[in-house]
Amino acid sequence: MSNLALISEQRDFAVSSSSLKDVRSFSREVFEKVNIEQDLKDELVLAIAEAAQNIVKHAYQNQETDDKMEIKISLQNGKLEIGFFDKGRPVDNKNVRHRKIDDVKPGGLGTFFIQQIMDAVVFKEGEKPWINHLILTKKINY
Amino acid sequence: MSYKVSEEGNISTVHLDGEIDMDVTEKAKEIIMPLIEAKKEVHLNLKEVQYMDSSGISVLIESHQKATELGTKVILKDISKSVLKVIMMAKLEQILNLG
Repeated sequence: MSNLALISEQRDFAVSSSSLKDVRSFSREVFEKVNIEQDLKDELVLAIAEAAQNIVKHAYQNQETDDKMEIKISLQNGKLEIGFFDKGRPVDNKNVRHRKIDDVKPGGLGTFFIQQIMDAVVFKEGEKPWINHLILTKKINY
Repeated sequence: MSYKVSEEGNISTVHLDGEIDMDVTEKAKEIIMPLIEAKKEVHLNLKEVQYMDSSGISVLIESHQKATELGTKVILKDISKSVLKVIMMAKLEQILNLG
């Protein structure tokens, strides 16, 4: 596959823990088209699923909703960008942090995994109709 | 996720199968916690677990901590490559009992 290969795929998902398997399936389908190592694909799928989980848990606080979240995966010139759009509670960038990794307790690991796997994690205010726009990026060689 | 529990003496072995994410963590806890509360030594066989996220790791931590509190233990057996990778990413390989 050429280094200039372009991938740009997006899909909507129900904001629910039951959608996480669909998020993983979508991500795996997209990364099947990219010639990168399986270990890296697995890490990227984990990062995407953790970010989607955070929308369900934090932006919507596990509350039932008819809202959808949108995930867009783009790859161009070796830069992978994954966008997450939701209409939940506005995320305050200052409050997004993982727990201290030496403090062994359940919870707070998802954000740590995302930060371990990706090069950059940026929260933006979403453009209408979205409230939150999370952008994960990573340089990849393929 | 599916599961199977077998008993031998004071050891309960839980064979977990499939993907363990936020959607199934309550079910996983419903299976594991009563065994720990009955003060069984619990072996979690993770050979057939192809995917585990931070929610699944939280179940492992909670189980480990509950067992320690009650004077028993949870031992992780036959850990699949993908689960081991996530345990190591969380830097828990020295904390949890890997058997």
